Amino acid sequence: MPFKQTTPPAFDRDIIQKLLQDGIDRKKGEEQLFSQYAYFIEQAMHKYSFPEDEAFNIYADTIIAAIARITNHSFEGRSSLKTWLFQIFHHKCVDLIRKKATNKSSVHRAQSISVIFLQMADTAKTVIQEMMEKTDKSQLMQKLEEIGDNCRRILMQWAEGYSDKEIAASMDYKTADVVKTSRLRCLEKLKQLYKVSIK
Amino acid sequence: MDNLAYIEAYCNKELSPEGKKEFEQKIISDPVFAEEMAFYLSSLEAAASEMTKEKERFKVVYQQYKQGDRANRPQRGLVRRIVPWAAVAAVLAAVIFSWSSLFAPASLHQIADKYVKENFQTLSVTMGSNEDSLQAGLGLFNEGRLDQALKQFESLAIRDTSSVEAKKYAGIVSLRLGQYDKAINYFSQFENDTRLYANPGKFLHALTLLKRNSPDDKQAARMLLEQVVQNDLEGKAPAQDWLKKW
Repeated sequence: MPFKQTTPPAFDRDIIQKLLQDGIDRKKGEEQLFSQYAYFIEQAMHKYSFPEDEAFNIYADTIIAAIARITNHSFEGRSSLKTWLFQIFHHKCVDLIRKKATNKSSVHRAQSISVIFLQMADTAKTVIQEMMEKTDKSQLMQKLEEIGDNCRRILMQWAEGYSDKEIAASMDYKTADVVKTSRLRCLEKLKQLYKVSIK
Repeated sequence: MDNLAYIEAYCNKELSPEGKKEFEQKIISDPVFAEEMAFYLSSLEAAASEMTKEKERFKVVYQQYKQGDRANRPQRGLVRRIVPWAAVAAVLAAVIFSWSSLFAPASLHQIADKYVKENFQTLSVTMGSNEDSLQAGLGLFNEGRLDQALKQFESLAIRDTSSVEAKKYAGIVSLRLGQYDKAINYFSQFENDTRLYANPGKFLHALTLLKRNSPDDKQAARMLLEQVVQNDLEGKAPAQDWLKKW
């Protein structure tokens, strides 16, 4: 039986409308959404004894994930934005507590290029570093903005160190494998866009 | 796509030591593959920068929220913030109340109340007394049948107007029943009788006044108690004690 879809409150409607637009309206909507429930940060600091920067990071990740889901229309409005956001936020808090408890906090650390270079033999490292220096970073950043919102957000979460399983949960993908396939496709798409731009 | 999956396996340390060596050798020998690896890492770097940029933007919003918007936003969790303070206040109030009930000096009304409870729950029945009606009334009183006891003593007092005992007991039962005016009336009838060897009239009158606790009762009770002490009347010991607490 399908869930009854209730009409979202005025604030929710307004925010969703803004997030579905482009440009300045979209940015305003994102910031409005962020500040509306920013008190979650204080709550997490009190409830879970997280330091402020950690609570802020979780909340920022929550908002980024929520924006991705709203813009790809996977937010169905079965509950209010507040309830829905709190669920995402709460899950992220619990995940972090679990990771800390099992000493897996490193899983949720931004993928570090230096760590990858550490395992690499010097000769290969030099080759890669020289090639990376030739990359037009501003052009790459611009193309990242152009590959589409979903791709950009998948890649951002990947760079933040979230696993494919976690990305699947926060962006409403069916499985981690789907995320992996999508992520690699996004990288491929980014590469094509970048190549065309520098020719 | 295949190369990307291969690169990712290397970065995630999923390759065997031989596979790792083979991968690094390919970087040196295959410039196209090396370029792909360099692009993978550059994309990772770009996406991380994008995430940092986004979070920096939200950090500014958060600072604004902390500085200004906090005052304008609805007071969320107000009840939650108040509850701990309310709990502290309640505990303090309970402690102060307990302290005052346990250690604060009892009022004269409470003293009188205590005296009645300790002394007038039962009355001693004189065995072999000739005054059968009086004994019957005391029996009823001790059984807790106060209304019937009062009727018994009142009818006796009417029948024998000289019976101080009947008036005294009628007054005591009235006091127990909370009929203070009636009690005072009975005690007043014999409190000035100097023929009696032991006259508790003034003391019982004072006790009833303290129990009634009307505006001028306290002052009147004090005067009566002073008379009890001065004239060495029955009830002198408690009267002295109470006067000290005045």
